[in-house]
Amino acid sequence: MKRTLYLLGTVAALMAITFSSCRKDPLKDMTEEESRIYITNHDSQANFTSYNTFSIVDSVAVFAGGSDAAKKALTTYDKQLISAVTTQLQQRGYTLVSKSAKPDLAVNLTRIDNSYTNISWNPGWWGGAGYWDPGYWGFPGGGWGWYWPSYYTVYQVRDKQTAIDVFDLKNPKGDKFTAVWNALWRGSGVWDTGNVNSMVQASFDQSAYLTRNK
Amino acid sequence: MKKIKNWLLIFAGCIAAQAVSAQSRPPLSVDINYSIAQPLGSLKDYSNKTSFHGWTAGLQYMLNDNLSVGLRSGYQDFYERVPRAVYPDKQGDVSAVQSRTLQVIPIQATIGYAFTKASSPVIPYANLGIGAASMNYEKYWGQFVEKNNSWQFMVSPEVGINVPFGAYSPVMFNANVRYNYAPYKYNEITSFNSIQGSIGLKFHLN
Repeated sequence: MKRTLYLLGTVAALMAITFSSCRKDPLKDMTEEESRIYITNHDSQANFTSYNTFSIVDSVAVFAGGSDAAKKALTTYDKQLISAVTTQLQQRGYTLVSKSAKPDLAVNLTRIDNSYTNISWNPGWWGGAGYWDPGYWGFPGGGWGWYWPSYYTVYQVRDKQTAIDVFDLKNPKGDKFTAVWNALWRGSGVWDTGNVNSMVQASFDQSAYLTRNK
Repeated sequence: MKKIKNWLLIFAGCIAAQAVSAQSRPPLSVDINYSIAQPLGSLKDYSNKTSFHGWTAGLQYMLNDNLSVGLRSGYQDFYERVPRAVYPDKQGDVSAVQSRTLQVIPIQATIGYAFTKASSPVIPYANLGIGAASMNYEKYWGQFVEKNNSWQFMVSPEVGINVPFGAYSPVMFNANVRYNYAPYKYNEITSFNSIQGSIGLKFHLN
């Protein structure tokens, strides 16, 4: 009986060793590029051929360091982001105009460092203090707001992200402007300047409907 | 008197013969095997790679030369990394490299039947395992994991051979093929089906 127990013990130990070494860890051999995901959403009601012009923010709103309020920044990364998104939209047939020229579309850019908290996320949750308010876009008075349609995906996040929001300034619904397109990048290296072009490219590639050319 | 003596001799002979066959090996055995498994059916749509990460282990008790009952467990890790692709869902589109994993840990009661005598050099057998399995589904979207863990009914018919190292050796080489089925449904998996091949050792214990 003692021998039996001894043998069983050995078998159990062997099993434990095999068990722990058997699991292939997906994160172990993952490159930064492989770690990233690009999520795009759009308003299914929007007619993307009906817009002609767009304007883009002159800097990027940054939520970081545990603060609820964003600060505007214009780093090398931010400049690259503005230029890459502008180029893509122009390739899709939209004309860049200044924000005073009443653009059809407003492009807001945001970086979010949410690694300090565990917050239940809705698209646009970053649309708080310090975010691009409609006043920036020439709609003063404080009554105006942004609106993300409710079918936008809800993700639980705890990392660094970058968001691109495109709003329809032409057809406000009441006092709200609808987000007609949104891209969100998550994963390792989303704040690296060298990755901006490929991430912008991927986001537009998977959004073929976002075009004025039909 | 002579008659009684003869009867006694026959009796003794029978008992001895039975003792030899039944006790050629102690009835209790443990086995441990290395396994590879091939996903089938909808499991292939999820993770279409042969799994080389697996093992099984069990306890068996021989009721007689042919019939046995037992208990066993094991582990199998299915894994496939799918290159970057765009996955549309009803709310949006997600571009991601997916690492699709499923870890299966069955716990089953078994009933087995050996087709030859315990003394034969090769002992073919059939086995049926019925029990439950822990299904640990982890799908990585990039570095972000979507998890689901549940217990499922699992049934596993098996055929195999035991090859003793010598006529009455308590140690045997084992090779077997097993089919695993579980009515497991999650995302792209509509039922769990796999075919599993194992080799290992079986020890009869005193």
